[in-house]
Amino acid sequence: MHRRRAAAIGVVIMLGAASCVLVEPHQRKYLSMPEMNPATDSLEDVFHAHIEAARRASTNGHGGGGGGCGCG
Amino acid sequence: MSRRRTSSLGLALWAWISLFWVAAPRPLLAENRATIRGNYYREKSTRVMQPLAQITVDAPDERLTLGATYLLDAISSASIASGTQAATGGDNVFTELRHEFVGTAQSKLGEWTLGGFFRYSTETDYLSRAGGVSLARDLLRKNINVALAYSFGGDRFYRIVNNTGAREPWCGGDVDVNFCRTGGYGRNNNFLQIHNTLASYSHTLHETMLATFSIGYAHLRGPQDNPYREGFLGGIEETHPHVRNRVVLTPGVRWMVWRERITFEPFYSLYLDDWGQRAHTPELRVHVRPVRFLRLRARYQYYKQTAAFFFRADGQYVDGDSRCSRDAPINCATADVKAMPWEAHTPGVQLTWEFDGVAARNPRLRWLEGGFVEVTYNHMIQDNRFGNARIGSLAFSLAY
Repeated sequence: MHRRRAAAIGVVIMLGAASCVLVEPHQRKYLSMPEMNPATDSLEDVFHAHIEAARRASTNGHGGGGGGCGCG
Repeated sequence: MSRRRTSSLGLALWAWISLFWVAAPRPLLAENRATIRGNYYREKSTRVMQPLAQITVDAPDERLTLGATYLLDAISSASIASGTQAATGGDNVFTELRHEFVGTAQSKLGEWTLGGFFRYSTETDYLSRAGGVSLARDLLRKNINVALAYSFGGDRFYRIVNNTGAREPWCGGDVDVNFCRTGGYGRNNNFLQIHNTLASYSHTLHETMLATFSIGYAHLRGPQDNPYREGFLGGIEETHPHVRNRVVLTPGVRWMVWRERITFEPFYSLYLDDWGQRAHTPELRVHVRPVRFLRLRARYQYYKQTAAFFFRADGQYVDGDSRCSRDAPINCATADVKAMPWEAHTPGVQLTWEFDGVAARNPRLRWLEGGFVEVTYNHMIQDNRFGNARIGSLAFSLAY
């Protein structure tokens, strides 16, 4: 139990330390690539969200609700 | 009075337009984009073909971006539970068309981004309208982005009857069809209200690492059962609770190992609702660039959901005569796979060819710059009555 708590605190400290790093605009070369941009998948997400609305309980973070269905 | 209102509107419009021009830093780049996409979904008894066209225009730059999307869902089903009995008079293949229009507007003013959308969707026995707004803010020199979004959806449900194309409003399995109304809202109405809120946070941890977290909450009120599942339930109409509260949490990371030209994208979704359902969705995507302008993505998703509180594994439901709720699950009945426990494995691949290389080498093809073609295939292996599903898409996009 203590070990788990220590690991969790360690992860939080690591993320906290990383969050102190400011990435400057000239260092954003990689971040601007499509595979690093969450917006790249927006149209694919819309399609998957529609399938999930018709077939799954979960909304998987796309927003959820609505959408007619050929729900069998 | 009316002149004063017109004058106030004019002033507000002028102030808004002025804000666009004054508040945003210059110079800004404009990129208009046109995308066409074909989506395909196939399982044992249902096939969906979905062509889609989307256009976005910066007018004149990112201070105002307008977008429009049209998509057509051609849903062919041989399943009784999809209404084929009611629509065709037998268990024959039934093709239904759904049309969807979406209009979007987005404005980036310095560190703030404002957005709004309206969506209209219609098919034979279903009508949906939704609208929403969003607000996002960049912080710490764009190292942090915080966003909030709210949308409201209003859906109207109908049931096709007598295989003549005639339809009647559907208010849920526990509402007598003679008392079901359309044109308003409330218990005996065919109106489903959907309130959606989403808060998201993204944090640049390193020049090759981005962490994201989102939490979504949805409140649904209205009919949420399928009017065509009597066949599965021995003549009893499917009856679900009219109220549902849903929460989904999604943490994720994108980490690029540039030397190897590989990006790892693990994320996880935890879904909870007050129907007693819980779903876990861990997913890993790996993006590779074998050559500079070619992207390859491999994906694996695991999905597992638990049953709703009113689901009975023995399928022995009784025809309840009053409201289905957590206090009275005896009045509920379901043949909906969405309310059952099951799991799925989805491997998939995607190939994207960016046209920038071709455009740079050949001046005549410069118009292809920023464009791409993308092919995607996912295979969903699931242990529910739908059986395995094949999901594919082909997209072509140009910047202009």
